[in-house]
Parts: sequence; C-alpha cells; structure tokens
Amino acid sequence: MNLADGVQIVSFGVLALMMLGAALGVVLLENIVYSAFLLGGVFISIAGLYILLNAGFVAAAQVLIYVGAVNVLILFGIMLVNKRQNFVPLRNAWVGKITTAAVCLGLFALLGTMVLATPWAISTAPVAGDTSTVVIGMHFFSDFLLPFELASVLLLMALIGAIVLARREFLPDALEREETQQPVLTLPERPRELASAAPGSPDRTLGTSPTQRNV
Amino acid sequence: MFVLNGYEYFLGFLLICSLVPVLAFVTARLVRPHPEGVERRITYESGMEPIGGAWIQFNIRYYMFALVFVIFDVETVFLYPWAVAFNQLGLLAFVEALIFIAILVVGLVYAWRKGALEWS
Repeated sequence: MNLADGVQIVSFGVLALMMLGAALGVVLLENIVYSAFLLGGVFISIAGLYILLNAGFVAAAQVLIYVGAVNVLILFGIMLVNKRQNFVPLRNAWVGKITTAAVCLGLFALLGTMVLATPWAISTAPVAGDTSTVVIGMHFFSDFLLPFELASVLLLMALIGAIVLARREFLPDALEREETQQPVLTLPERPRELASAAPGSPDRTLGTSPTQRNV
Repeated sequence: MFVLNGYEYFLGFLLICSLVPVLAFVTARLVRPHPEGVERRITYESGMEPIGGAWIQFNIRYYMFALVFVIFDVETVFLYPWAVAFNQLGLLAFVEALIFIAILVVGLVYAWRKGALEWS
C-alpha cells in the first residue's frame, strides 16, 4: 500500500464518519435549525466522496447547488416560519410510525438486495478524470442537446412560478385580510415595544451592559 | 484505481484551514480575561445592544432572492461544461448556448419587471 492508497482510505473513513454523524444529527436533533446546518455537512461529505471517485465536476455541482442553493433555501424556509409552540401529541400516532417503519424497512431491503446483487468488480477502463468535464460538455451539445435546452425552459418556469407564488398575486381576499391583522416580527422594520415584550428576550440585562455603564 | 491528481494541495489546504479556528479558540482561551456576569451571555451584535430574541420570523423577501439565486446557480452548472469544452465545440454550440441564456434572460427580465430584485 503506497501513500496515495493510504490517503484515500483515511479520507474515505473521515468522510463516511462525517456523513453518518451529520445524517444521524439531522434525524435525531430536536432543533430544526441545527438539523438544517447538519444537512449541509451531509452534502459536503457527499461532495468529498465524489472527489474520491474522480468525479470533480459532480462534486463541484454538488457543492454549488446542494450546499450553496438548496440548503440555503431550506434554511430560509425555516427562518420564515417561527411558530415556537408546544406541539399537541397526535392521536393515532402509531399508525404513522408503523407506516414510516414499513417504508424505511422496505427501502433498506431494496437497497440491501441491490448491494448484494451488484458485481463489485473494479473496471479497468481508464478514468476520465480531469477531461470528464469536457466529455460532459461534448454530450450536452450533441446527443443531449434537447434536454439541455429544455432545462432552460424548466428553469424559466420555476423562476416565474416562484415569483408568482411569493408575490401572492392570487391570494383570496379573506385570507389576505386575516394575515395583515396580526403583527409579524420581521427584521428590518421590527417594532421595538413588540420585540422587547417577546418572552425570553435578554432585555433585563441591557441596563447593566458595559457600553451603557461607561457612558 | 485512484489518482487524486491535483488534489494534494487541496488536502493540505483543508488540513491547514481546519487548524485555523482551533488555534484561534485555543489562543483566545489562553489570553483572554475571565470575567463573570450577565454581559457574557448577551448575543454579540456588532457592539449594539441586541433587541429582542434572535429567533424571529425573517422577511419573505430573503426567500425571493434565494429562489432567484437557485435558478441562476443551476444555469451556471449547465454552462460550465460548455465553457470548459469551448475550444472543441464549434460555432453551433455557441449559438445553442446563446439560446439557452436567452431563454433564462426572459426570466430575469420578468423578475426585474415584477420587482423581485428590489427590496421595497
């Protein structure tokens, strides 16, 4: 075993541990914000595994899209809903739990049989490596041209749909009136008396802050 | 078969990078004074006194920017192989990429006209 093999095995071990730990954290942690940040850790570990498999472009796309965009979107989604309330225990919760367990076990069995059925022989074909991006580009403009152009139409549809939904142009009147009545705490124009009345705010300690005492 | 070509520097860089926060925290712990009091528990907000809790609802406009960003992020990923293989591809591919960009520019103009890129 030479140095490159050792580095590969150690990197794989570190990445696998990172990914498993972060994935368990995503599922088990109570705080949803921590779960979202750990999901970013899972995505980064997957990008590292792609690099180990000599798929540099896929790794870059993984970091750019999943870590940079999808995870940020998930975090923003969490930041938009801040209903901190005690959840009422669901009646007949065991039905949902049994269904979840059945689906997860079925998925596990499916993946297990796939792992056992796959011949894990190492291919002797030369690895594309750095030229793989060029190969992908060539495919984009020859036999995958139509999907490539359709992707732009799909992105256009997603953009317009997102803007229409976020602008709430087609909201019913009753719903809109109901929403404008309750004061919503937002960052730029946050009313001070509302904010300081919020429970758990550290306002009591403000009077003794060092800056004020020095003045 | 594993090559790891060109990633030796990346690995070394990653190792050195991960040392930076550890060293910073250890140095701070050794050097800093150890005051007791309520001020230590206050969230640091650039020297300002924090108002209210940090767990507030954020403005939906952040989400708009994030959505628009995702679209153009995916566009970048699609255009990168074209840029790398630019010398091997011909004029036709250039025109096709222009069509791709033009379709997305329509979306950008729509977002602009609808005021999705403005804060107020």
